Amino acid sequence: MTTCTIVAGIMPNVTEGRVADAATGVRLATRSDESDLRELTSLAVQGDRRAIESLLGHLRPMVVRYCRARLGRVSGHYHIADDVAQEVCIAVLSALPRYRDMGRPFASFVFGIASHKVADALRSSVRSAVPTQDLPDGPDEGPGPEETVVRYIEAQHARDLLSRLPDNQRELLILRVVSGLSAEETGNVLGMSPGAVRVAQHRALARLRQLAELESIA
Amino acid sequence: MTTKRRRRPARFLGSYGDADVEADVLRTDAILDGLARREPVASGADAAIRLLGALVADVESQRLSSVSITPST
Repeated sequence: MTTCTIVAGIMPNVTEGRVADAATGVRLATRSDESDLRELTSLAVQGDRRAIESLLGHLRPMVVRYCRARLGRVSGHYHIADDVAQEVCIAVLSALPRYRDMGRPFASFVFGIASHKVADALRSSVRSAVPTQDLPDGPDEGPGPEETVVRYIEAQHARDLLSRLPDNQRELLILRVVSGLSAEETGNVLGMSPGAVRVAQHRALARLRQLAELESIA
Repeated sequence: MTTKRRRRPARFLGSYGDADVEADVLRTDAILDGLARREPVASGADAAIRLLGALVADVESQRLSSVSITPST
């Protein structure tokens, strides 16, 4: 039996850190945090700097994951996806003073912007120069080349299959699984009930499974 | 005599009468919840779960940008 393991750890720093350390920080907010988040959004809209920082601190890791899942790597790196995520955060920041709470969660507003930015990036398909990392001073403790390549191929395969799903199914699976939202949160973003999300994700997964099986036969 | 089952409109989905299908829906939800929480998920022979797991691992593998998002003004 194969096991997909992602190491659990501590809450990530917003500005730097391995996202894999985010077992407790994957989600936007638990149900009990929703009212806090709404209050935080309200303060951020009024220009409270701490609230803005805290709000973006909640949202940014999920936006990064969303952009990475949609855009993939270029030359082995996520620079383009991360740049788009940064653009999303800047756009959210710019739009904050004009944001009006219409009853839908702030995350819905953010992922709406993210979806448009990703679509723009896919349309322009700009492949700018990719900055390389500085040479490390010590040994690289990350996965070896073979493991890296296998993971990259499988992730790219997942992206290819996801791109063949209908838009709504692809968005749902990426938000639910990669961005790490709960069924309730995903429903809030997509305007669906949690029950409808559960049924739709079941169908989306079945479709994904079917596509994977068809490919393995072909 | 055969019973013809009508396909339910999408807006009514969410509460299945069929216990087996409902159990499958809940099982899928539990698996996806595990992936979303970055918990170990047994994919077995399920290629879709394995590939989603690989995508999550790949997305998590690279460090976040160190560019600060804190507004300067």
